[in-house]
Amino acid sequence: MVSRTLVVGYGNVTPVTIGKGLPLVFIGGPCAIESRDHAFFMAERISKICSRLGIPWIYKACYDKDCRSAPDSFHGLGVDHGLRILSDVRDEFGVPVVSDFSDPAWAPATGDVCDMVQVPAYLCRQTSILKAAASTNRPIHLKKGQFMSPWNMKNSVRKIEAAGNHQILLADRGTFFGYNMLVNDFTSLPIMARTGYPVSFDATHSIQLPTSMGNISGGQREFIPNLVRAAAACGIQALFMETHNDPINAMSDSNTVLDLKYLEYVLTHAKAIHEARLNLIAELGEDSVHLEEK
Amino acid sequence: MLVSHVMLVLGTFPVLKQDEIVKVCLEKMSHYRLGIACIVDDSGLLLGIFTDGDLRRKLLNAQKPIASFFVDDVLDHGTHNPLRIKDSDSLASSVELMELHHVWDLPVVDSSSKLVGLLHLHPAVKALLQSHTA
Repeated sequence: MVSRTLVVGYGNVTPVTIGKGLPLVFIGGPCAIESRDHAFFMAERISKICSRLGIPWIYKACYDKDCRSAPDSFHGLGVDHGLRILSDVRDEFGVPVVSDFSDPAWAPATGDVCDMVQVPAYLCRQTSILKAAASTNRPIHLKKGQFMSPWNMKNSVRKIEAAGNHQILLADRGTFFGYNMLVNDFTSLPIMARTGYPVSFDATHSIQLPTSMGNISGGQREFIPNLVRAAAACGIQALFMETHNDPINAMSDSNTVLDLKYLEYVLTHAKAIHEARLNLIAELGEDSVHLEEK
Repeated sequence: MLVSHVMLVLGTFPVLKQDEIVKVCLEKMSHYRLGIACIVDDSGLLLGIFTDGDLRRKLLNAQKPIASFFVDDVLDHGTHNPLRIKDSDSLASSVELMELHHVWDLPVVDSSSKLVGLLHLHPAVKALLQSHTA
């Protein structure tokens, strides 16, 4: 199996490399772009934290939240306005940016600006979305649907590859456990890694209780540190978390985003465990326990 | 008599590309009613085989969900660099090779290791019997 490495970042930003044996990459930011000022504020704060910790990072914020539970929930600033802000964040902070897109027609504009494009979990098997993502020629952050088995994500990977793109990061964001409930099966990470692509863990969506609050999703964010430590120990190449300086008043995912005041604490744990795992592998070799039987 | 005289030709037995999945392989094996599938690369070079025996052993050893097994690359579960014969080999010596290795089928390659056929025991035995009675 060939292990692929992704380079995220074009032009005037500092490229971030995601791959096996490399430093853990943080992908994060507010769930939605709420305003130019807020997007810049968040980028500045996160940039300082990541710089202090020596963690390469990619700024994430979305311009359109198409999977909101209620018709009157904040939907986003829209493609044009949102991408303009993301472009300015890139220029100002020299950081690669990623946004998801929910309509194939938005892919070209998203790829023109963003260093990485993201496929939402609910749309992870939609051929039109996957082909559109591939056609941007940008690295693709492909979220595993909450309804998908990790081994079946290979079908989505194959659709992207068939469209000519071989730059994929596979994410676990939890799996439906009955209604309004997610669980994390951490075997999904090594299973998806067998595609040869790096894997990421989306901690803040994993603690989501989907649409558990009637017309919005709830969440149990007190478990974010536990899940992050578990995922880092299991083996990931990137950690995804949405964060906000004022979660209660966040315009999207207010029940799941990590309070910015805890970001450094959680990232410190993630980095330490990731490095400990890499050191163990360097000393004892890659996991190969009973693989001969499989 | 040569292997090329009685071998199954391409298009009459299961052949899969290296990135095809186990589920497709099993369908093809059932379609052709054979217990072996040959796995080739894009240029037709023989990379491996997958047999009923591989399936039995995997079901006993892998102990993972069937749905997961179905979507694995068939080459991951097959035999790499399998025993093979040439189309110019003698039929009699090839059947002896089958007996020696307890197999009913042997992939047939040409001088450049490209898959060109499959020697199946039934037509091989039939041809040898006919040649003896002729």
